[in-house]
Amino acid sequence: MSAAANKRPFDAGRAAYLGLNLLFIAFLLVPIAIVIVFALNPTPYISFPPVGVSLKWFAKFFDSAEFMSALWLSLWIAGCVLVLSIVIGGACALALARGNLPGRAFLTAFFMSPLMLPAILTGLALFQSYLLAGVGRPVWGLIAAHTLVAVPYVLRTTLAVLYNFDRRVEEAAAALGASPTRVFFEVTLPLIRPGVLAGGVFAFIVSFDQFPVSLFLVVPKGETLPVVLFNYMKFDLDGAIAAASMVSILLALGVVLALERLIGLRAYVKL
Amino acid sequence: MSVVKARPSPIAWLIAPALLLFLLFFVLPFGVMAVMSFFSANPISNPNAFLTTKHYLRFIDDDAGIFHDALWSTLRIGLVTTIVSLLIGYPLAHWMARIQSRLANMLLMMAVIAPLLTGIVVRTFAWMTILQDKGVINTTLMSWGLISKPLPLMYNEFGTVVALVHIYVPFMVLTLAGVIGRIDERLEQAARSLGAGRLRAFVEVTLPLSLPGILAGSLLVFALSISAYVTPSLMGGTDVLTLPMLIAQQVGTSFNPNFAGALGMILLIVCFAIVIAYNKILARLAGEEGLA
Repeated sequence: MSAAANKRPFDAGRAAYLGLNLLFIAFLLVPIAIVIVFALNPTPYISFPPVGVSLKWFAKFFDSAEFMSALWLSLWIAGCVLVLSIVIGGACALALARGNLPGRAFLTAFFMSPLMLPAILTGLALFQSYLLAGVGRPVWGLIAAHTLVAVPYVLRTTLAVLYNFDRRVEEAAAALGASPTRVFFEVTLPLIRPGVLAGGVFAFIVSFDQFPVSLFLVVPKGETLPVVLFNYMKFDLDGAIAAASMVSILLALGVVLALERLIGLRAYVKL
Repeated sequence: MSVVKARPSPIAWLIAPALLLFLLFFVLPFGVMAVMSFFSANPISNPNAFLTTKHYLRFIDDDAGIFHDALWSTLRIGLVTTIVSLLIGYPLAHWMARIQSRLANMLLMMAVIAPLLTGIVVRTFAWMTILQDKGVINTTLMSWGLISKPLPLMYNEFGTVVALVHIYVPFMVLTLAGVIGRIDERLEQAARSLGAGRLRAFVEVTLPLSLPGILAGSLLVFALSISAYVTPSLMGGTDVLTLPMLIAQQVGTSFNPNFAGALGMILLIVCFAIVIAYNKILARLAGEEGLA
């Protein structure tokens, strides 16, 4: 506080620094806010400035059978991915952090690699494999694909928690006579739960918003919401897209708040 | 720290489901893609399919004169996106790493993560409403009488890069904030107390120390933006053709999955080189930090 008091009354460098950063924050957030404006603006095409407030685009979105079946499919897939990636990713994190596995660094990089490789190629590779295997394009294929790209998120958040917590808590429980199973269920699991859940929430969003992996794996009439929106946007740019966007933004916002409550966002600074 | 270097414990078996998933749905498919790229057609359904390098030669010869252009514009868009993301991301990351108040830090973090949690399709839509001829910027400028006809902000590389930067800046910020946060602030203070101006202290102390973060963040953003599909195809119009768009075309309209596989392998090799560099840098960073 004394340092602040020592400052000269006006600091041009500091002002420029803050001004620039506020501008960048605006660059990040304004486009999202603009979607809200268009979702509520009743004109038939995207036009600016807005002329009023109406919920007709939301009505159109929720009344459209095409949008609704896509929304439910996306939610259903994201739900499955959430459960699968929590179980698979959580178990994998435990094995990596506690299993004394050889080549741990390599394995971690391997399980993280779907994040670094182009998602569209993951989709293409799976498309070719399903084609070769002659299985068609089943929903389970889509779920497996989404789970693959969601597991790294669960792995990352769970590993962050596992590396941060004090192993002596587990050792103390064991020293007091708890069996390894009991230590796991009564000490380790409750401690890593926030990390696993936070990763699961990420997994849900990654699946719900997934486009590149889904592109080649969806069937006509069985498309997920992002694919339907993309196809719609190629020809039509009206408020229905904005309303659909709003629905997913609200979902994301709820997730951010949930994350902050679960674990605190600071944990994600460590990539 | 007193962990004994022992044989794998029973907990190691928990890796099995993940390993199975990754082998079946990741390693195997990429292998299939590599093999398919050397076949003339689907070798299972078509008995006349033969091994060939024609898909790669087709790319190398480039008779139609589009493949090389597509590769270059992919790399060019990736490079420009990376540079602009760094210029925007660095100040933000620096602010985030150095801000004192916990509340302000949390708000900043939410501002950076919120776009990350909004789908690519949604964010591209947002930029279409802003940059199109009847979009926010053009209508505003025209109603103020500053321009008489809309500026060409979209359906070109400019619009593509703007939207890509918006999508990938958060990755840059998160990578950089972690690195800058680990730099001891007292180093900069020491430089300043020795008479260096604030700018000089930053340029000669903080900036060099954050170089690994700059490199890691840039590689990440580059790898992500050269594999983007949604944004270039919606924002680029007929002006922009990138490698991922070419791949989608080969699968969707031309139905030539074998050639798509070859194009995919080319993109994959570029990305692999980047991933290896990225992991090397991260490993060095983790080493400096002293892994728990």
